[in-house]
Amino acid sequence: MPELTIDGRKVSVPDGTTVIEAAEQLGIFIPRYCYHPGLSTAGNCRMCMVDVENSPKPQIACNLPATEGMVVETESEQARKDRAAVLEFLLANHPLDCPVCDQAGECDLQNYYMNFGLYDPRFSEQKVKKEKAVEVGPHVMLDQERCILCSRCVRFTDEITKTGEFGIFNRGDRAELGLYPGETLDNPYSANVVDLCPVGALTERSFRFKARVWYLSSTKSVCGGCSRGCNTDLHHVTDRPHLNDAERLVRVKPRFHAQVNEWWMCDEGRYGHGWIDRDRLGEVRRRTDEASRRQVESDWDAAENALAPALAAANGRLGVVVSATQTTEELFSVREVLGERFGARIVVAPQAPGGKGDDFLIQADKAPNRAGARLLGLSDAPADGVESLVDAAIAGELDSLWVFGEDLVELVGAEKTRSLALSDCLFVYAGTNDNPTVSLARWVLPTAVPVEADGTFVNCDGRVQRVGRAFAPLAQARECQRVLCELASRAGVADAPSWSTTAEVFAAIAKSTDAFAGMSFESLGEQGALAASREPLAEAGTP
Amino acid sequence: MSFAHLSTRADEIIALYEYPQAAMLPLMWLVQNDHGWIPPEGEAWVAERLDVAISRVREVLSFYGMFRAEPMGRRELKVCTSLSCRLRGSEELLEAFSETFGIRPGETTADGAVSLTKVECLCACELSPMVQLDERFIGPVGAQDTGTIAAIAQDARSEPTSPEAAPEPSPFIDSSGPILSTRFADPGGVWFDAYTADGGYEAARKVLTGMEPKEVIEQVIAANLRGLGGAGFPAGRKWSFVPTDGDKPVYLVVNADEGEPGTSKDRHVMERDPHALLEGMLIAAFAIGAHKAYVYIRGEYFRPAQRLQRAVDEAYEKGWLGSDVAGTGFALDVVVHRGAGAYICGEETALLSSLEGSKGQPKLKPPFPAISGLFGCPTIVNNVETIACVPFILSHGPERFAAIGTERQGGTRLFCVSGHVERPGVFEEPVGVTLRELIEERAGGVRGGKRLKAVIPGGLSARILTAEEIDIAMDFDSVGAAGSMAGSAGVIVMDEDTCMVRTLDSAAHFYADESCGQCSPCREGTGWIHRIVKRIGAGQGKLGDLDDLLTISHDMEGRTICVFSEAAAWPVQSYITKFRGEFEDFIRSGRSLQGARSPEVSNA
Ligand SMILES: Cc1cc2nc3c(=O)[nH]c(=O)nc-3n(C[C@H](O)[C@H](O)[C@H](O)COP(=O)(O)O)c2cc1C
Ligand code: SF4
Ligand code: SF4
Ligand code: SF4
Repeated sequence: MPELTIDGRKVSVPDGTTVIEAAEQLGIFIPRYCYHPGLSTAGNCRMCMVDVENSPKPQIACNLPATEGMVVETESEQARKDRAAVLEFLLANHPLDCPVCDQAGECDLQNYYMNFGLYDPRFSEQKVKKEKAVEVGPHVMLDQERCILCSRCVRFTDEITKTGEFGIFNRGDRAELGLYPGETLDNPYSANVVDLCPVGALTERSFRFKARVWYLSSTKSVCGGCSRGCNTDLHHVTDRPHLNDAERLVRVKPRFHAQVNEWWMCDEGRYGHGWIDRDRLGEVRRRTDEASRRQVESDWDAAENALAPALAAANGRLGVVVSATQTTEELFSVREVLGERFGARIVVAPQAPGGKGDDFLIQADKAPNRAGARLLGLSDAPADGVESLVDAAIAGELDSLWVFGEDLVELVGAEKTRSLALSDCLFVYAGTNDNPTVSLARWVLPTAVPVEADGTFVNCDGRVQRVGRAFAPLAQARECQRVLCELASRAGVADAPSWSTTAEVFAAIAKSTDAFAGMSFESLGEQGALAASREPLAEAGTP
Repeated sequence: MSFAHLSTRADEIIALYEYPQAAMLPLMWLVQNDHGWIPPEGEAWVAERLDVAISRVREVLSFYGMFRAEPMGRRELKVCTSLSCRLRGSEELLEAFSETFGIRPGETTADGAVSLTKVECLCACELSPMVQLDERFIGPVGAQDTGTIAAIAQDARSEPTSPEAAPEPSPFIDSSGPILSTRFADPGGVWFDAYTADGGYEAARKVLTGMEPKEVIEQVIAANLRGLGGAGFPAGRKWSFVPTDGDKPVYLVVNADEGEPGTSKDRHVMERDPHALLEGMLIAAFAIGAHKAYVYIRGEYFRPAQRLQRAVDEAYEKGWLGSDVAGTGFALDVVVHRGAGAYICGEETALLSSLEGSKGQPKLKPPFPAISGLFGCPTIVNNVETIACVPFILSHGPERFAAIGTERQGGTRLFCVSGHVERPGVFEEPVGVTLRELIEERAGGVRGGKRLKAVIPGGLSARILTAEEIDIAMDFDSVGAAGSMAGSAGVIVMDEDTCMVRTLDSAAHFYADESCGQCSPCREGTGWIHRIVKRIGAGQGKLGDLDDLLTISHDMEGRTICVFSEAAAWPVQSYITKFRGEFEDFIRSGRSLQGARSPEVSNA
């Protein structure tokens, strides 16, 4: 454990720690371009140079092992000069693009220049011309002139995805970043290079000219694209709908989590969020008359008036299909209200077939919360569980069937779903987005998506993580627990739960379910917590 | 287009290396030799054989100057335009060839016969101005020497011959010894029988049969043998850094990438006395515990590589290489590995990257090669000349070697003296010889009775010395004390008519061309300097440019992965500081280098 001094402050660090890491422990940020903790050390940008006592030359902090008694200055006159010199070199061939660059506002060249540069520009030669605005893959654009050749993206495709698409070709100041002609950057994790790129050389095609970053708000979240639960930051606008074609969620960025996803996320997860603002169920609907089976707009009051008595009379003749895409809190509300209070038979829709996983992040189970359902005792139905429930409904054995979020047409076929619609069974659909099943229901109840309601997912390793709330439910949509609590009280249930926030639902879960014992919404924090469970949480061997 | 017919040969090559990717350069040479250039199908074939991404192959193809990404003429005529050749009129020579073939540099004649290429130093500076026709070095070729130019042009239009077929002209190459050049007299080279008849391999036998590795290292330390690649690090001390208790294999790598403009020494060892190098390698390998050695030889050195390979084959045949060297039980394999045209590969860690099959980019230190070098294993890199001194030390004793030199540096060096001297050549001298002796006595003084203006004492990267600064001994310490460096012992002499703007133009071009491009200060700085100097040379300079050049070069120094940036900075700083008046006059006059042809040509 060598002890060293950085900017006059002492710190002890484990053997093998570099100075850049040791400084971070003291909260001292040493500027860098090529260094990234998730990649091998390249040491080429020279931005992290520090002044080391008894060393004739400045040293790069990213490759300097901390040693006993070492004295490092990051803010000395010399260190400032060193950084300013490097910045001047980097800007020598950098285009003056900031006004039209999507990176503006989060560009480390722009930022460091403001902090450490600000010299009189000396460079007056012709800049080296390279290619601008090339689409290198489905998600990523490359501007070679803006590239500072830090090689982060090259190391990413070499070391992390091992797909090797990027290369730096040629030498000297003719060196340029690119792909082999005809190759595309289309690996499943390609957009991470955009986050890695410290400047505006690699940008997201989807974000191109959409919004200036300073108009964005940010919410910590987790991805619902599969059972990995990668930690994310959601960047959203609510007050400027024109900025993103009225979509509130503008982009998703991975957020570091050492045990879950480190710095990365997959492209599916990053770009698979369009449904949050598109084809949403925004209003309560009901079928007008049995003959035409036409749906018309309705409202919550009418829905509760119609559905509460039906529930009160259900007497066990109630079936429910829930989805492993729902939050633990939604699933718990369904279990507590429809299951416990009204005796519903609850089945969880099974894992969609054909999902592909890999040996890195992506899981074959595209539902984010199957583990959460299991911990609540909502085990997977047998393969034909949903189907037998629907059969029972058609056969008149159930008075009502509630479906949460799942597309029955996909699960049991169009034929059977239509038979259900024609049957006497009261078929209620509660969910977030339109699908072929929705128009066949007698009642359609619009619910909030997870990032409108907050809540938790339990990932494939049993980590309970908060989804966060980025914005309010769209139009008439309501949080699931609110819908269910009100129905229960309308139905006159004596001990109807009265959770008014998602945190309260979670508190109830923690109190009643061993796996969550001792947790609170707040204590989950940004890192989540591991559920206590001896049960296997994900099916093994389904990549 | 298929390269399947090369597969057997490819397998043999890959088998020479610890990892398939290390066969990158040899396989690309294989494709290029077969096809004339490396087409995309060839890149794909290499990528497939080595199981690497095709972008890695493209990186390599685009990094090295000798790999061709497009078809070229059946023959290639390369004209060196680095400083030594330039001082003797290579720009005019290039123009003469341009006119003869009716093409500009970089182009190929319409009938596809000849490509004309402008190249950086081929390290045959004693031949300057010189050209290379395919594999063969030719020089000196004066720009006014119309007969020779016509003959070369005629040759270029005919069928290629092997480099052995036509002997090179011989300017002065020393053979007076006492250490390195004793067997240099025969330009055809000394082979196994002659070498052993001269006492060759006896030092190795003595070491392998009766000495401990530690003793060998001690003797080399006692001999004061310094690294002759340029940095002058004590060789024996470097060897002692190799961990003796590790479980990884140890490698010996010989640096034969000779590329420093003004230098010409290692080539003569490999061409004329290759077994001396092999014997030195045997001893060094024994001392450090290596059983595999590589010689990384610059790509332009065709004949030296062929001769060295011939010596290696002989040594295997005679039992001096292989699994049981001379019945001693010691094992050593030697692989001759060819580079492909990149000066930076002379830097030892760039050399290792290149040997591992990547671009020749220097690696971060720490770790140092002696701890983690080739393939992540302990590795000692030494220059050819350094290793070639080793047999003498073991056969004649370290005291004898040390006594020949100065207090802290033993032995002799092969000095190449080029530029404006009467008798350019390669001279073996004790390291304590003075710069004045080298120029005035060995090289016959400044050409045409002119006055001396300046000298670069140790290869282009060394700071320039003025005519008043040449009374110094040429060992590392003395030249260092005089503010320059002994470097690679390449002495470049300039007479009173030399234009320093032109000299700087040559240096700036070289470093901008050869920077590996990974560190921001070096990549951007070399390019920036070159553009300013070009502008000055075009008559568009401003007086403020001179201070900018000093600041930029200063800002590059000490802030990069390797010391190439210093090598690029020192010429700029020293020329401008020592000849500032001349630079200012040039700028004020509005002259351009194009307009005012170098006066030195008139008496070439
Ligand atoms: C830019 C640069 C170019 C170099 N070129 C050569 C070279 O061509 N040949 C060589 O032996 N050493 C060269 N060196 C020095 C090597 O890095 C290394 O010090 C040397 O090979 C070690 O061998 P030695 O100790 O026997 O000299 C170069 C160094 C630098 C920084
Ligand atoms: S594109 Fe960005 S990440 Fe890649 S090398 Fe250039 S600056 Fe670095
Ligand atoms: S791996 Fe799964 S959780 Fe992670 S980003 Fe992709 S879809 Fe989302
Ligand atoms: S100093 Fe120049 S040559 Fe050396 S590693 Fe850096 S960029 Fe490459």
